[in-house]
Amino acid sequence: MASYSSRVRLDIARWQQAGLIDAPTADMLTRDVEANERKSLSFGSILAMMAALLFGAAILIFIAANWEVIPRLVRVAALFAVILAGYVGGAVLKMRDHAAIGEALWIVAAAAFGGSIALIGQMYHLSGDEASAVVTWGAGTALAAVALRSNPLTVAALGIADAWLFLKGFEYRAEFPHLFVVMALVLFAVSFWTRSQAARHLIILSVLFYLVLLVTRYDTLQVAIPLVVASVLLFIAAIFAAGPVDRILQLGGRLPLHALIGFLTGLAMIQFELADESSYSSGFAIASAVALAGIVAAIVLGGRESRGLRWVAYAGFAFELAIIYVVMLQSMLDTAGFFLAAAVLLAVLAFIIIRIEKRMNAPDMTGAAA
Amino acid sequence: MMTGKRLIISALALALVQIGFLSWIIAGRAAILRDGKQVLLRVEPIDPRDLLRGDYISLGYEISRIPVKLIGNIPAGKLASDDTPIVVRLKPGADGYWGPTAAWFGQAPAPAASGEADIVGHVSEGSDLSAATTIAPDYGIERFYLPEGEGMAIQNDMRVRPFGIRVAIAANGTAQIKALVDGDKTLFEEPLY
Repeated sequence: MASYSSRVRLDIARWQQAGLIDAPTADMLTRDVEANERKSLSFGSILAMMAALLFGAAILIFIAANWEVIPRLVRVAALFAVILAGYVGGAVLKMRDHAAIGEALWIVAAAAFGGSIALIGQMYHLSGDEASAVVTWGAGTALAAVALRSNPLTVAALGIADAWLFLKGFEYRAEFPHLFVVMALVLFAVSFWTRSQAARHLIILSVLFYLVLLVTRYDTLQVAIPLVVASVLLFIAAIFAAGPVDRILQLGGRLPLHALIGFLTGLAMIQFELADESSYSSGFAIASAVALAGIVAAIVLGGRESRGLRWVAYAGFAFELAIIYVVMLQSMLDTAGFFLAAAVLLAVLAFIIIRIEKRMNAPDMTGAAA
Repeated sequence: MMTGKRLIISALALALVQIGFLSWIIAGRAAILRDGKQVLLRVEPIDPRDLLRGDYISLGYEISRIPVKLIGNIPAGKLASDDTPIVVRLKPGADGYWGPTAAWFGQAPAPAASGEADIVGHVSEGSDLSAATTIAPDYGIERFYLPEGEGMAIQNDMRVRPFGIRVAIAANGTAQIKALVDGDKTLFEEPLY
């Protein structure tokens, strides 16, 4: 199967021959196609990346086994050799047009850097916690991403930062990992230099995860209400100033999607917080109504342009139906009633989704692919 | 796109920076082992396991519990500790094991005498400072890594008889585990590298 880019290149040649476009335009179009082609993931590069991750995991577990047969100075030297060979060899391969394998080698080198930190901790019995070792590793990987201008390394650095957030967030009695906000900001800035749109998407989702963790430690409403308000503002900005906002953030037009996820997350926090008081206070009902209204507004304002946004909206809608049912009606019905209600809710959901998809797809086929 | 030569140069520089950073940590630790003051501490095991670095025994020391009475510079009326370093002055006992004689938050008022050693630990915020209690500083030497599978056996032995840890202490008070000893016998002695 010919790839999209090779088909477009044939088309461009044909258009130029037919006199539809002149030579400079044809040249510009071809170059644009080539520039964008590199961003798409091929099957081979995915396999190379998976091999690199397995290789990295093998290094880390080998270090953890603390195998005495190989003297540790040899182990250190071997890891240093992997770091050097991985970074430099990856650069050479990338230069010679094997970008995927080059990036994969860089990932292996970054893993070897993490393995070296673990090995040194083991050699000298350093009892400092894993979390601070992970921070050092992540900083080294972010530095590598900057130096090599690498998209996968940026994502890897974020993955390490997320692992740190996870370690700290669930650690008993640990200080809350507020430093994650700084890490997210730094990596967000780095992602522009490394042209890593994937990292930017993941950073936004990670920040949402951070806020969810924050709610477990702090007052829910103090986190959730600002989150909801900020999400609404972002959504409005992303819809009504789509061009300028996306030129700044470069999220491939998916900011409304993130804003909707943030909005629904914030309202879910509020709903869980207020669920217990639903029998005597109207807070839960108001939050639910806001959530449903927000979902409808999101579909009306941004649904046509983005199928992804519509599906997030459906998922949010299903979640709202479920939580409203559980909180408001549960006490009145027995198990059979629950199944009946679930059936009716699913039928309603299916009906609504089919109707909306039909309306969104029918008049404007091109916009639906986004 | 970055040009080829520049990319390779930055890859090389990056590798050297990372390797240099790691070597610097190794050199610092080896220096403590080589030049630090040697001290023998009594230990009891706690609990093994580590995700990244493999098997280890968690070690609790006699000096992991410092009686608040020993601390010389607690401001009057202070009920709970800050997040602060603590200096513990150690002196060898008759049995060869070193024990605490005095302690200060922050810095020691005078350097240790020749027969003594100062170890620097860390106290977390909010420890109780009333006179009858003890506080629990961290010295960064609370783990001993072992080859896979050996952790449990040693830990079980530790429960029945006293073990010791020989520690090297740098001039600034940083401690570094040097050897695990079982009575008179040295079980694991750490090479410099």
